[in-house]
Amino acid sequence: MTTETLRLVTPETPWRVRSKSQLVYIFIASTLPAALTFLIADQMKLAGLIALTIVFLPLQLLAASLAALITVGKRGILDAILTVSVLFLMLTMGFLLGSVALSLVQKGFKALSFHAIYQNSFYVTSVTSLEYGGLGHALVGTLVIVGIAVIFAVPIGIAVGVFLTETQSRMRGSVRFLSQAMTGLPSIVSGLFVFAFLYLTGWVQRSAILGSVALFLLMLPTIIRLSEEVLKLVPQELRYAALALGAPRHKAFFQVIFPAARSGIITTCLLGTARVIGETAPLIVLVTYLPSTNFNPLSGDMASMPTYIYSWLKFSTDLANQRAWGGALALMILVGVLFTLARFFGRKRF
Amino acid sequence: MESLNPISSNSFGADVHLSTKDVHVWFGQRHVLEGVNLEFPVNSVTALIGPSGCGKSTFIRTLNRMHELIPNAKLAGEVLLKGQNIYAVGVDPIQVRINIGMVFQKPNPFPTMTIRGNVLSGLRLSGKHSRNEDELVENSLQAASLWNEVKDRLDSPAGSLSGGQQQRLCIARALALAPDVLLMDEPCSALDPGSTIRIEETIRSISKNMTVVIVTHNMQQAQRVSEQTAFFLAEDNNPGYVVEAGLTNDIFHNPKDKRTEDYVSGRFG
Ligand SMILES: Nc1ncnc2c1ncn2[C@@H]1O[C@H](COP(=O)(O)OP(=O)(O)OP(=O)(O)O)[C@@H](O)[C@H]1O
Ligand SMILES: [Mg+2]
Repeated sequence: MTTETLRLVTPETPWRVRSKSQLVYIFIASTLPAALTFLIADQMKLAGLIALTIVFLPLQLLAASLAALITVGKRGILDAILTVSVLFLMLTMGFLLGSVALSLVQKGFKALSFHAIYQNSFYVTSVTSLEYGGLGHALVGTLVIVGIAVIFAVPIGIAVGVFLTETQSRMRGSVRFLSQAMTGLPSIVSGLFVFAFLYLTGWVQRSAILGSVALFLLMLPTIIRLSEEVLKLVPQELRYAALALGAPRHKAFFQVIFPAARSGIITTCLLGTARVIGETAPLIVLVTYLPSTNFNPLSGDMASMPTYIYSWLKFSTDLANQRAWGGALALMILVGVLFTLARFFGRKRF
Repeated sequence: MESLNPISSNSFGADVHLSTKDVHVWFGQRHVLEGVNLEFPVNSVTALIGPSGCGKSTFIRTLNRMHELIPNAKLAGEVLLKGQNIYAVGVDPIQVRINIGMVFQKPNPFPTMTIRGNVLSGLRLSGKHSRNEDELVENSLQAASLWNEVKDRLDSPAGSLSGGQQQRLCIARALALAPDVLLMDEPCSALDPGSTIRIEETIRSISKNMTVVIVTHNMQQAQRVSEQTAFFLAEDNNPGYVVEAGLTNDIFHNPKDKRTEDYVSGRFG
């Protein structure tokens, strides 16, 4: 071996290296449009949003296309246009989401405190100081109402998904059609259906379970649909491998197919829950808001996060308003916590 | 098609373990196999050879009732395991598949299980038990010539193995169940020469108490491992059929049919 080859070799990414002139063009193409937009908007007194969409975006697209044409050639243009569009949309979405989150925190954090999480609003009026009362009763209510819906919708929905992917039954077509039709069910209709079908007929007395049934109906098609898609992603070869080893269908499913689809199934449950956790319309129709805590889904009224927020929005005082925002913030945090937990338990082992 | 040469048990001198009687296969309306009559004597090794697409994999799947899992599959004829038709009403396909193991053309280990878990998966899935699982894992992996490469990482995921290692894991998985009959669909097509030779040794040694049917595109392999050979052919969109079947020695050195001679000598296919 010569001394030449003994020099230290460092890992590199040669496919990412750009020439000096390329870097100059990229620099110009990514700063000039912004600078120009700033000048034009300043001169013509344009509002920010207008300047951004009708001045900046076309300029940036043009600049990126030109830079791509010069550095890469014709085939670079589409790439540049796509890159700019995607980045623009991404930043817009990020900005929108960020501002929603920010205003939630800004307006809601005053109404959130340690005691707000476990106290209820029984003696609280629209002018009560934020030092008293809270949304514990609504948290309990949402967990109870949504929890019952989840407990029934998840196993039934996954079972139907399994029926659709793992069997050869002739009924699959109609079951798939019905569940797809159900996906479009407006939530208020679900609420009215339960009201007419279970309450007006006298089969179920006024209670939180009515809300759970309505949410169940909304969740079910989502879970069926998604679990079918997730199970379809499991390669057919794995099913054959399991069956060729002499596995009965159920063992092949529980030991091979389900583990392979596990993280997708957990995402399915999350999306199903997300679909209904902030659902307001059926709860307003079916479950009367109660300012105190009720653990019993089978009798009496019950609060829930959406109806809690709604109940404070009906007042015009600042304090009531802050409580409503606090509720919205708490709901967002609740969703965040639930999703983090599910992601944690659903993470891929391999 | 006429000119079928069912391998007779007399010419081989052992009892028939598995046999097919006039097996036809369709996928939907498409007729892909026609009138296959073959006999597989007890503890014999049979090679199935023939050009790509002539229906070897399809045929081998009819032997352990894996064929029926394909949605629009159709079948006519009989497959007899020790004289009993495995397609008869009331026969449990699960029992058939436990008795007749299979290694697929494409490696398909279970990605959510460890290497060890894969070897033992047959026991778990078919509800069998073993007194000494560690020993079973080692013996099966030894037989599949994978033991030395994985003995230190039996608990890592099966997906971390290379393609050829995965195929050997699948062979170990099938061997762990110790079936009476083992069907192997091109088990060595993804393997290096060394592993191929070791798999062939395994086939020779397991065939002391197991009947083996192996699909292969490798003429040398067919001659090295098998006692009898069947040559499949499908001409111009017609269904595949057995052109000639008999002792491997005869098929390769003294074929009766011109097409067999051309194929085994590499003149077409
Ligand atoms: N699931 C299926 N649906 C429809 N046709 C199929 C299916 N599987 C196989 N076929 C057809 O049946 C014929 C035989 O296929 P098969 O896989 O048995 O061939 P092969 O002899 O194993 O070929 P190779 O050596 O390439 O593996 C082919 O023409 C193929 O197109
Ligand atoms: Mg094949």
